Amino acid sequence: MAVTTFPTGRSETKRWGIASILAASAIVLTAVGGSGCGAPTRGAEVDRLTIGAYSVLREALREGILPAFARHRAAATGREVVFEESYNASGALTRSIVSGFDADVALLSIETDMDQLARAGRVASDWRATPHGGMITRSLVVIGVRPGNPLAIADWSDLAEPGVDVLYPDPKTSGGARWNLFAIWGAGLLGSDRADEAAAESLMRGVQRRVVNMDASGRQSLASFARGIGDAAVTYENELRLRERRLGSAIESVVPRRTLLIEGPAAIVETSVAKHGNRELADDFLRFLHGEEGQAILSEFGFRPLGAPLPEGVFTLRDLDGAAAIQRRVFGDDGIWNRMFTDRTEAR
Amino acid sequence: MERVPIRSAGGLLRVASLSYLGVMIVLPLSALAWGAFADGLGPFVRRISDPFARHALFLTAVTALIMAVINAVTGTLTAWVLVRYEFPGKGLMNALIDLPFAVPTVVTGVMLVALYGPTSVLGAILGEYGLGVIYEKPGIVLALLFVGYPFVIRSVQPVLLEMDRMEEEAAATLGADGWTTFRRVTLPTLRPAIVTGTALAFSRALGEFGSVVMVAGNRPLETKTAPMYIFGEIESGNQRGAAAVSTILLAASLLILIGLNILQRRKGENRDG
Repeated sequence: MAVTTFPTGRSETKRWGIASILAASAIVLTAVGGSGCGAPTRGAEVDRLTIGAYSVLREALREGILPAFARHRAAATGREVVFEESYNASGALTRSIVSGFDADVALLSIETDMDQLARAGRVASDWRATPHGGMITRSLVVIGVRPGNPLAIADWSDLAEPGVDVLYPDPKTSGGARWNLFAIWGAGLLGSDRADEAAAESLMRGVQRRVVNMDASGRQSLASFARGIGDAAVTYENELRLRERRLGSAIESVVPRRTLLIEGPAAIVETSVAKHGNRELADDFLRFLHGEEGQAILSEFGFRPLGAPLPEGVFTLRDLDGAAAIQRRVFGDDGIWNRMFTDRTEAR
Repeated sequence: MERVPIRSAGGLLRVASLSYLGVMIVLPLSALAWGAFADGLGPFVRRISDPFARHALFLTAVTALIMAVINAVTGTLTAWVLVRYEFPGKGLMNALIDLPFAVPTVVTGVMLVALYGPTSVLGAILGEYGLGVIYEKPGIVLALLFVGYPFVIRSVQPVLLEMDRMEEEAAATLGADGWTTFRRVTLPTLRPAIVTGTALAFSRALGEFGSVVMVAGNRPLETKTAPMYIFGEIESGNQRGAAAVSTILLAASLLILIGLNILQRRKGENRDG
């Protein structure tokens, strides 16, 4: 009688074949990757700046901001700037800077992350002391719709209607997705007569009931929408405009009657610039981001320039008692997000 | 005198392989369990009895079980066909079976969405009848069926190949029809292999993430499986909650594998006795 073995000798050899192919390609990929970020010449004429930015900024920095800033520095000082860039989700980036990643400048997607860096002593506690409260990027939470807006979606309440399939990313994995839910919450709250939380909560529940798929990130969610899934996608205006710029295919969008201004902060990581001795360079980089040229480039990549007028009905997190408070209110342990689901199942 | 170096070489080998096991498997898993129980049993129990965690674990167990049962049947049949019949393309079929091991699971997910998603012809037809597959629970089972496909086949196939057909022939001579022979003679021989394959597929499915995340819809208390829950908790900074649920998945897999070992040992003893 045969002893049960797993797997068979024959498929074992086959598996080894596959494994060696994978191993070979891994080696090739590593080699390619290594040469891709190949060490630039270490000379005296070179200044180094390490940038940690949330993933959405990748294109705007790589293709716009960084080359322009390098030109600006070359003209002003005659020295070359070499950037080391790290792009990650804002929360993950925050955690890695707290635990020792020495980015000189941090560009994050939400101010509570920057506060966390300040509490950890990485960023000056007065990081908000700039003309725009420490913020560098601006965008709006909007609703992406199908060509010609066949379902005539105009506001958040339309997303709660039966027969509307809605997409938005999972706020557990996407920091940006939290903006979407703050927008819906805030619109419900500010749209009711006396800041009625029940109205806000029922709007949130109504929309969530129509959600078909919650992708891990905003970009994945929009990719699903572009593949034809869903009737409406709650997303960020800059992401739609960037998509249009990159792929040339526009997704129509609607600015709801009331919606949230998304603001992303930037600050110098004190411990890093002290270690690298490049405070002047980091300062100059932040000034460049705030300045006219930096803002014009960011606007090319889909953001709203800091000084530009905003549509009527746009509110900010400050109108909702601030980022930390709304974060707790919606996503705390007893927050609305959790309650929304547990209450619903109990009612079934 | 010559034995000493040999014995010490054997000892060295044992130490080396045990240390390797320790570093590669035991250490990371202990770190995980340590994280889960770091602040005591009470918080651990609270974390796994959280309604979201409980539902995710339940959904994972049920979908994995459905997949395992289906694969136990189809896998045995497929192995049967591969061993007992000759047909053109058999070699190709045999090679295709291992493919789910090699395909990145995310690719599996994307492929299934393209095939059964709401935008596909098939998905649209199913949707007409209110049978959502993608972004619903059947989509999860479908993804698991794909990644769990090879296990039962690869477990049953060698047993079938090495099986002594005299017993079957004897049964036939004694007047048993094909089905009776299969049920009374073949199946008892195959059963340990079927159980092994099914249990491995089940364990594999408990942790499946890449393909499921693409097709499940990820809605809390509806279509969010345990690995997706774990991912979400890690990303939102709840490491302990993630570790607690991971520990449950891990413990389940460990129990299954220990059970399989006992089963195989008992089988070995029976044979010797």
